[in-house]
Amino acid sequence: MVGDMTEKETEKAYIHWLYQAAGMGSRTFLRDLEQVGTARAVYEMAARGVLADRLQDRYRKKGGKLQNAVKDYDVIGRYEEMTARGISMVTCREEGYPRRLAAIQDAPYVLYYAGSLPDEERHCVAVIGARSCTEYGKAMAKEFGAVLARAGILVISGMARGIDGIGQSAALEAGGYSMGVLGCGVDICYPSENRALYERLLAQGGVCSEYPPGTAPKAVLFPPRNRIISGLCDGLLVIEAKERSGTLITVDMALEQGREVYAVPGRVTDALSAGCNKLIRQGAGLVAAPEEFLEDLQAETAGNTGRFLSGRQLSFQIEGTQMEGTQKELLKLLDFQPSSMEALQEAYEDAYGRSIGIPKLCHTLVQLCVDGYAGQIGGSYYLKRRT
Amino acid sequence: MFSAIRSGTVCGIGSHLVQVEVDLSKGLPCFQMVGLLSSEVREARERVRVALKNSGITLPPMCINVNLSPADLRKEGTMFDLPVAVGILICLGRISQDSAADTIFLGELGLNGEVKPVRGVLPIVTKAKESGLRRCILPKDNAMEGAVVGGIEMIGVASIAEAAAYLQGVEEGKEGLIAPVRIDVESLWEEREEQTPDLADISGQEAVKRAIEVAAAGFHHLLMIGPPGSGKTMLAKRIPSILPPLSLQESLEVSAVYSVSGLLHTSREILITKRPFLNPHHTITGQALAGGGRVPVPGIVSLSHRGILFLDELPEFKRETLDILRQPLEDRVVQIARSSGVYVFPADFMLVGAMNPCPCGYYPDMARCRCTPYEVRRYLGRISGPILDRIDICVEAMPLQFREIERSRTGESSARIRERVLRARQMQTDRFQGGNLRFNADMGAVDVERFCRLGTGERKYMERMFRAMHLSARGYHRILKVARTIADLAGEAAIREEHLAEAICYRQVNAKYE
Repeated sequence: MVGDMTEKETEKAYIHWLYQAAGMGSRTFLRDLEQVGTARAVYEMAARGVLADRLQDRYRKKGGKLQNAVKDYDVIGRYEEMTARGISMVTCREEGYPRRLAAIQDAPYVLYYAGSLPDEERHCVAVIGARSCTEYGKAMAKEFGAVLARAGILVISGMARGIDGIGQSAALEAGGYSMGVLGCGVDICYPSENRALYERLLAQGGVCSEYPPGTAPKAVLFPPRNRIISGLCDGLLVIEAKERSGTLITVDMALEQGREVYAVPGRVTDALSAGCNKLIRQGAGLVAAPEEFLEDLQAETAGNTGRFLSGRQLSFQIEGTQMEGTQKELLKLLDFQPSSMEALQEAYEDAYGRSIGIPKLCHTLVQLCVDGYAGQIGGSYYLKRRT
Repeated sequence: MFSAIRSGTVCGIGSHLVQVEVDLSKGLPCFQMVGLLSSEVREARERVRVALKNSGITLPPMCINVNLSPADLRKEGTMFDLPVAVGILICLGRISQDSAADTIFLGELGLNGEVKPVRGVLPIVTKAKESGLRRCILPKDNAMEGAVVGGIEMIGVASIAEAAAYLQGVEEGKEGLIAPVRIDVESLWEEREEQTPDLADISGQEAVKRAIEVAAAGFHHLLMIGPPGSGKTMLAKRIPSILPPLSLQESLEVSAVYSVSGLLHTSREILITKRPFLNPHHTITGQALAGGGRVPVPGIVSLSHRGILFLDELPEFKRETLDILRQPLEDRVVQIARSSGVYVFPADFMLVGAMNPCPCGYYPDMARCRCTPYEVRRYLGRISGPILDRIDICVEAMPLQFREIERSRTGESSARIRERVLRARQMQTDRFQGGNLRFNADMGAVDVERFCRLGTGERKYMERMFRAMHLSARGYHRILKVARTIADLAGEAAIREEHLAEAICYRQVNAKYE
């Protein structure tokens, strides 16, 4: 059986064993183990029960654990089983390990992935933000995800609820590449509601994780994966974040790793924009429109190999194509934040000096929704959407 | 010595006449009652013996046998005390059998001989009248309730002595010892006061008010979603004020339910004249909601017959409890099966639900809402699909703005809205003449196709909507039904685009939350 595999693959199978057996949080231990020999050598020592004695005193216990983990473990079989499922692994000592990620401190020793890894020649941007986001945030994530993808930029994110998932979905929708960095095994779709996105990432992009397949999502696993998100990208774009949030932890990591940080501003009164506004105050790039953002990125990476397509002009103004008077009037009153039917009724009266009845209002709003100018949220809230 | 007099018992909201046969014979002294009696009927022995003693009549040491016939019908209630006591008095020769001819007796006895009110008088008296009985001797507190039936003499008595004196008077030809209670139902009906809070009291919430108007016009079930303190309960309480007034026929139906529940004489009302509005707490059990018990009594759904059943905080109700509503929502009756038979209670109510949009109540205001999208979805998911399917109209109540409170622009009065509702109801009556449908909400899929025909333009419009809004077949029919009502409110024979558009705005909640 071993004959079928190259030397390198066989070694990887042993690394896979070692990685699972050593458990999470053993990065230093694994590096130190390299002093002892190859993973295969470690395995053989463990199988003979002599490993623990060869290690420094502080690793005795871990060595014992490895010796126990040898039992009933089919190294090659398990590795082949994994690759047969479409899951690959790459170690930081190997060619093919993402170069950007390799450069960070504390890079994961092994990266498991399904689908493909991001193209090293292309520019990567992480689009991140709050899980529980506003309609404004959703609209922005969608917009930026799509624009970046169309400009040929790879979108990295955490496949989480809210901004992450929406931005990635939009990028894939626009025909781009996206990579989801998971806090669980790559064979597990978490959160399960992002199943469609997960499937699409496997087909059109990729998912990766530093945890072995089968690792269940746990709260403690998620903060460390944020360093991989920022590590994989050249720049980080924050769409929406509260003042104290996980998103800002990712930003801190990105800054440590020397990545550019950009943020989409929001209203001063919005709790979910407080984080972004604070970042801007601290010097993050203010991104008000995707094409500006693309220019900034280009300037930042001048001389770099990053390849850009032309950014599409973003137009928040609606072209008044064959719209009747009331529709136009009403559209002017709509905002990216949802407004209630009552509020619209009142605003209409204030703006135009005449009142509009509920039936007429309903009729016009439904028309705007169907034409894609507006959206209905909940029962009686409406907001502006781009066409 | 044998006597036989008439009485009656309640079964569901119907009733049966019962013959009370009493026999006094020589033998070892005893007091036996037979005839498939529940325990409260059997306990009549003790009450009758002591009540007679305290009225100055000591039972002789004889063998007393009482049979309630038909013997295979289960007897429930405390109304047999008075007939048993009167039967014994006849056997003792204190009253003649003839004086009790064509008379029905109802009443519970106190140990001091007083006659106490009983429940179910209205259906029993109705039955007695149908069977050709002329007179009813019943507790004084129930006399008004019985008098509503008309065509049968109501003699209200306060004690067993009074009943005996009256019957002796009858024998001696002095008929009018106690004047029969009479009620002119028509004039009583005319004079009834209807005091319900007015919709004009609420400023703002125009969208919800409009939805309520549509719901009332077509008898559609309604769901209001809104943050705490947005006035959902206040709005719901005012819905009866725009519904058509209760008709006499409807009032008799409702009063019968209240009569068998024993709620009519306690409320000191003669008839229920206002549309019922029931507001059960969300901890209510399924039994209390649907009706039940070993001897089934009407539940909340039956007490809200012809009125409003308001369920505040809908998702807080237990799922099993809400699922019980499925049958009444479908059949407009509640059937309760017991070994003694199937009891059927009417339950034709308008369901009005109110709920917060999410556990914290502030979605979609993300600045305040602390719920995850998952929590929001799960909150809505607590209401079972089949119940949501029956709710045609869903509307969101806004948090009140200070401006709205301050401005106190009084809205339209309930009376004016009611006029429009009545007009829409009239259109429905004309439309469904001869059929078994009453309101637009009652229409099934086949009826929708028949009564909600669309023009070419409107059909094209709906085709677009169907695709753009991802409607289901069921959702499509629901929209047509509501659009029909909206067109009725506008007094138009054909459904037009704007009616459809408004109906789409009221579509189901789970279709709206993403």
